[in-house]
Amino acid sequence: MNQRPEPARSQRALRRLILLLGAVVVLIIFSYGWNVTDIDFTVTQQPQRQENVASALSELLSPNIFEQDYEIQNTTQSFLMGCPTDYAAPETTPVDGQPYIEITPACGESGEIVTIRGYNFFPNSLARINWIATDGERRIRQVDNTQEDNFVTNGDGTFDVEIEIPRIRGTAGETHTIEAQGRFPVGLPRFSETAGIVAEKMVETIFLALIATTISIFPSAVLSFFAAHNLMRPVRIPLGNLLVAFILLPIGYWIGASLLSALATFALNVGSGGFSTAAAGLIVVVGAVVSNRRLNNPTVMLGRSLPRSILLTALIAAGTVTAIGLLGGLALLIDQVQADGIIGNITGFFGSLGELIELLLIPISGIIGAFALASIGGTLTRGALRQVTIPTSHLLGAGLGLLAGAILLGIVASIGMAAAWLGLLTPVIAAALASPLLPQLYRRFISNPVRPVGAQKSLLSILSWVGAVIAFIVTFSVLGLSQALVEGVLPPRDVAFTIAGFELPSYILKAMLIGAVIAGITGALQSTRANFGIGGVLYNITRTILNALRSIEPLIMGLVFVIWVGIGPFAGVLALALHSIASLGKLYSEQIETIDSGPIEALQSTGANRLQTIMYAVVPQIIPSYIAFTMYRWDINVRMSTIIGFVGGGGIGFLLQQQINLLRYRDAGVAVLAIAIVVSILDYASAAIRERYI
Amino acid sequence: MLIIENLTKVYENGFVALKNINLEIPDGQFVSIIGLSGSGKSTLLRCINRLIDPTEGRILWNGLDITAASDDELRQIRRRIGMIFQQFNLVRRSSVLTNVMSGRLGYVNPLLSLVNYFPRSEKERAFAALERVGIAEKAYNRASALSGGQQQRVGIARTLMQNPEMILADEPVASLDPATSHSVMKYLQLLNREDGLTVLCSLHFLSLARAYADRVIALKDGVLEFDGLPGEIDNERFKMIYGEDAVEVEIH
Repeated sequence: MNQRPEPARSQRALRRLILLLGAVVVLIIFSYGWNVTDIDFTVTQQPQRQENVASALSELLSPNIFEQDYEIQNTTQSFLMGCPTDYAAPETTPVDGQPYIEITPACGESGEIVTIRGYNFFPNSLARINWIATDGERRIRQVDNTQEDNFVTNGDGTFDVEIEIPRIRGTAGETHTIEAQGRFPVGLPRFSETAGIVAEKMVETIFLALIATTISIFPSAVLSFFAAHNLMRPVRIPLGNLLVAFILLPIGYWIGASLLSALATFALNVGSGGFSTAAAGLIVVVGAVVSNRRLNNPTVMLGRSLPRSILLTALIAAGTVTAIGLLGGLALLIDQVQADGIIGNITGFFGSLGELIELLLIPISGIIGAFALASIGGTLTRGALRQVTIPTSHLLGAGLGLLAGAILLGIVASIGMAAAWLGLLTPVIAAALASPLLPQLYRRFISNPVRPVGAQKSLLSILSWVGAVIAFIVTFSVLGLSQALVEGVLPPRDVAFTIAGFELPSYILKAMLIGAVIAGITGALQSTRANFGIGGVLYNITRTILNALRSIEPLIMGLVFVIWVGIGPFAGVLALALHSIASLGKLYSEQIETIDSGPIEALQSTGANRLQTIMYAVVPQIIPSYIAFTMYRWDINVRMSTIIGFVGGGGIGFLLQQQINLLRYRDAGVAVLAIAIVVSILDYASAAIRERYI
Repeated sequence: MLIIENLTKVYENGFVALKNINLEIPDGQFVSIIGLSGSGKSTLLRCINRLIDPTEGRILWNGLDITAASDDELRQIRRRIGMIFQQFNLVRRSSVLTNVMSGRLGYVNPLLSLVNYFPRSEKERAFAALERVGIAEKAYNRASALSGGQQQRVGIARTLMQNPEMILADEPVASLDPATSHSVMKYLQLLNREDGLTVLCSLHFLSLARAYADRVIALKDGVLEFDGLPGEIDNERFKMIYGEDAVEVEIH
C-alpha cells in the first residue's frame, strides 16, 4: 500500500486561501462580463416589448407560404358623421340575392359604436368592414373588442357586428361610406409570391455554398500538403541549390511573363480561332509532354546529359503554357455557341473559364517560367555546387546569400508599400533571416563541447532570439516604420535610382541592402553545403497564412468582396471560398499528419518520384476523410451563405434582411422556415455521408 | 557487387547508429543481418538505398557511387533495389493490384501514372508477379482484407515489379507466425536461387538465418561484430552478439 503523507495544516490552509482567492477572481471577471453585455431582465418584462415580440413571433410563425383566389362581394352604405336632429337614414332597398347592410344608428360621432347587419353574404366565409372617409382612403375597421380584421358570416349569409366610428378630426357633417366586403375562396390554395421568391433565393444560396466549396477543394488540397509537418519536415535541400533556385525564380518569372505568355496568347488565339486547329494542337502538345517517357532501360543510367535535360525542361514549360492557352481558346470558342437554357449555361460556364485563363495567362506563364528556370539552374549548378571546396562553399554562400537576401527583402518591402501595416513584414522577415546568425557564430567560434546538451540548446535558442530582435529593431528604425504605423501613411516613394526605365524607391533599396547584409553573413557562415530545412519553413509560412485567414469571419471577407465585385452572390462565393480554403486546408493537413508513413517509405524505395509517392501512398489514405470534411464544409457554407447576404453577399440573407427591415414578418417567416428545412436536410445528409466514409 | 566503405551514421540527436562498417557483398549472395533491436540493422539497410542518408562513408554498387547520386540518379538506382518491410507498408485501402503496380512507378511514364494509367503489358507483369507469390486471385481485394503472410507476399510482388537486382528485407517475418515466416522466407530464397538476386535480410531469429542464409553479418551497437558462415556461430559467438543472458530460440 502506498500511503500519502498527510499534508501539513498550514499547507491545507494555504490551499484553501488560494481556492478562495480564485473564486473571488472568477466572480469579479464574471460580473464584469455580465455588466458589459448589458444584461437586464426588467426589459424583458415590459408590457410593450412583450406585446411587440409576441406579435412579431406570431407573424414569423405564420409564414406567408400559401395564397388563394377569392370571389369578392362588396356593398356600401353612407354614414353621416355627427347626428343632426332631423337626419333621416337613407333607405335600403334590398334586392334579392344581392348583399346589403343596415347600419344602426345611421349617423354618429367619432368613437361611438355602431352596429352593422349584413344580409345575403357568402355563408360561413370571411368578411370585413372598411371605412371610407371623404379622402377616399380605405381603413379596415376591426370588429369591436377583437384584434381581428376579419370575421366569419353566419350559416344563412348574415352577420351582425359592432364597430367603433374612427376618430378622424374635422369630419363633423361629412358623409362617409361604410363598405362591407365578403370573400369566398375559389379554387385550391397555391404557393404565394413570397414563397416563389424565397425558393428561388434558396436555390441561389445552396449553389452559392456548393460553388464556394468546390472552388476551395483544389487549392486547399494543395495547401494541405504544405501544411502537413510529416510530409514537409524531412524536405531539406543544400543551401546552395536553394539559393540558386530562389535567385532564378524572379528572373524566370520575368522571362515566363514576357516570352512564354506571348506563346500562350498565340495558342489562345489559335484555339479560339477554330475547333479543329485547337483540338489538333492540343493533342500534339499533350502528346509531346506525355511522351516524356523515362527510358525503360534495364540498366541503371546515371547522369542524363545536361543539354538534353535542359531542353526537356524548356520544352515541357513551353508545351504546358501552349496547352493552357489552347484550352483557354477552346473554352472561349465554346462560348461563341449561341444557346439558351442548359446548353447556354454550359457554354457560359466554359466562356467564363476561358476568360479566367485569359486573365491569368501572364501570371501562369510567369510562374511556369520561374519554376522552369529554377529547375534548369538547379541542374546546371548541382554538380558544381557538390564539388566546390569548403572555403569556396562559404564564399559562394556569402555571394548567393547576398543576392537572395536582397531579392527576398526587396519583394517583401514592395508588398509593404501597399499598406502601412504590411510594412511590418520586412522587419519580421529580416528577423527570421537573422535568427540563425548568432547561434552560427557561437557554434563556430565559442562552442564549448563540455557544456551539457540541454544548456547548449537553450543558449542557442536565446542567441537566435537576440539576433532576431536586433535585426527587427534595426530594420524597423532604418525603414522609419514607426511613423508609418502611427499615421497610417505609406512609405515615401522617392526614387533612389532608375535602371532601364525601372524606378527603384529608396525604401526598397534600404530593405534590399539590409537583406543582402544579413543573408550574406548567414550564407557565409552556413556555406552552400549546409542542409537547409526548406520544408519546415514552407510549413510554417503555410500554417501562418491558413490560421490568419481562418480567424477572419466570412462576413467580414464578404464586406471587402462586395466592395470589389459589387453586391450579389459572386461576392458571397468569393468570401466563402476564401474562408473554406483556409479551413479545409487546416482540416485536410491534420488528416495527412495522421497517415501511416510506411507506404511512403515503400514507394520511395521503388524509385517513384515525389509526386507519384504522394499520389499512390498518401492520397488513397486521405481520400475518405477529405470527402467527409468537404461535405461538412458544404454544410457549414450553406449555413454561412444564409447570412452572407446581410452584408450584400447574395443568397437568401439579402431577402431576409429586406423583409425584416420592412417589418414584413410573415414573409420573413417563409425565409426562416426555408433556411431551417434546407440546413437540417443538409445536416442530416452530410452526417450520413461522413459516417459512411469515416 | 555491393561495397560498403567506412559507413557511419550519426542521427541528429547524436545517436551513433552505425560505426565504420566495411562490407563486400558479391552478386547473388543471401546475406542475413542479425543483432538485437537497435543494433543498426534497419539503419544499415536503409543507408544502402539512401532512405537514410549516411553521415560518412561510401556505398558502391556495380561501380555506381550510391552515396554521391543526385535525386534523379538515386531514383534510377532505387528502381533496381527492392525493399521489403516488417510492417509490409502496403496502402491498406488500395487494391492488391494497385499496390503491386506501384512498384513499377519508377519505370512508367510519370504523367500518365498520376492518372492511374498503366499500359496493358505492365498489368500483365503485375499478374505474373502475383502468380509467382501465389495470390493472383486476390488481385482485386483490398490489401487490408489479406492476412499478414499474404500481405507480405504482396510486398514481394511489388518488389518483383521493380525487376530488381538486389532485395533489402527489413525484418520481413518479424510480424508473422512461424509457419508463415517460413513460407515468406522460401519466396525470398526462390528469388535468390532462381533469379540470382542478391538478398540482404535482417532477422531476429538466428535459426532462420541458419536455415536460409549463405552468410551471416552480426551487428552490435552499430559495430560489425561477426561476418561469416551461419555454421560458424557457436554458443560463444552467440553470447557475444546477443549478450550474456541470451538463450537461442528455435523457430520451426
